[in-house]
Amino acid sequence: MAGQSGSQLSLFTPDEVEFVAEDELVEIVPNLRMDSLNFICGDYGPFYPQIAIQVPLWLALALKKRGKCTIRPPQWMSIENLTQVLEGERESHAFQTLPFHYVEISRLLFDRARDDIPDVYMVRSLVEDIRDVRFHKVETNLENFTNSSLVLQWKNMAAMEVNIIRAFSGRALQAFYRHENEQAVPDLDRTQDRQPQNLNDRPRVCRSFCCIPIFPLHHWIDKIVFISCLLDYCPTIVFLWRAYCLFVVPLQRNLRPR
Amino acid sequence: MGDYYDIDDILAEEDFVPVQFHKAVNGVKIDESSERGFVEQDSKAELPFWLARGLHLQQAISIKVPACFNRNTRLEIEADAGSVDLRSRCSYFYEFGCKVAPFCDKSIGLLVSYTFKARYKEVLYKAHTKAFAAASKIMNFLTKEETNLYEAAQSSMAAFRKWRMGGPRLQRASILGRKRKPAE
Repeated sequence: MAGQSGSQLSLFTPDEVEFVAEDELVEIVPNLRMDSLNFICGDYGPFYPQIAIQVPLWLALALKKRGKCTIRPPQWMSIENLTQVLEGERESHAFQTLPFHYVEISRLLFDRARDDIPDVYMVRSLVEDIRDVRFHKVETNLENFTNSSLVLQWKNMAAMEVNIIRAFSGRALQAFYRHENEQAVPDLDRTQDRQPQNLNDRPRVCRSFCCIPIFPLHHWIDKIVFISCLLDYCPTIVFLWRAYCLFVVPLQRNLRPR
Repeated sequence: MGDYYDIDDILAEEDFVPVQFHKAVNGVKIDESSERGFVEQDSKAELPFWLARGLHLQQAISIKVPACFNRNTRLEIEADAGSVDLRSRCSYFYEFGCKVAPFCDKSIGLLVSYTFKARYKEVLYKAHTKAFAAASKIMNFLTKEETNLYEAAQSSMAAFRKWRMGGPRLQRASILGRKRKPAE
């Protein structure tokens, strides 16, 4: 659960990571004509039949479910690219460059938009293989925790992989830190350690390893508004969020980590 | 260090340590066997650590090395740290070692960190992928801290597998499953 405080670490369930991943843009080819949709996260322009347009993944999946578009699989999901990435993963110790949310995006597309992907079985097996090889590398890297200093940096990890080891590695690093510290400075009197710990000394895990994006509230608000637009009722909701987004959009745009 | 109210901290200090009294103490009965309520100077006893620390600060006792850090354990750890049964010796091996180290023997700190590194390398980093059958055998050897780590890894891996299998996005609340009694 997000923000679960068992050991002062915030944890995300895989469903929440998937929710965050649905913000990524994909290209769709609609088959209807619709006016532009104005959401808090942006405006998605008028839809014309057979004209490709970029929309967030959640919107693409909602339209696909109603049979109003076809989704074009993203560039990185072609068989050639995935084969290349798989070979690169097997050869080198570093992680290959893949989109941050590739696990979630690929799973969502396989589940909902299977007929839009050419050679879906081949693509699916390639993605699974890549995932296995990368996770194996993650485990090998975990073994090397002991020799490192307080800062770890692993480049190009994906969101789901980070999420799986977030709890474990946070606690492991804390334990290592505590034992190293005990060796260096044994504290004699308990009353002395009532002072708050100096936060700068805590082990810092680098941004590219453990970045936790701000939970996007606007995401599900947009979903509700979109559905009510389609169904053409509750204009008060539409009016309220239009007033709301006039004030909040600049703030939201500043806060989003891009 | 831990919080004052942290239950793990409290339990870690419960273990007994051997002490030797420097002063004679009146009015307390440490040993069940002694009939008088009186402890002589230079007598040995076993006290829980939280009591021993307070008395140590008043310079009434000196703390000796506890049983779980003695020579036998050290030899076993050096031989093969991954299979030493630390839970039966002391469930809070690492925390207890960190607390005891400044009072009696500085080398306990080194022992603790060496043990943790060795066990991590052998047992814990594989926590994500160990099958359940093998896991239950290892779990009996782990201290509380290591069990925390292990279960964190297992639960996040299980959650990931469950997510990957798919399943209904909406879950039925358990309260709805109960059958309603027909109105009489």
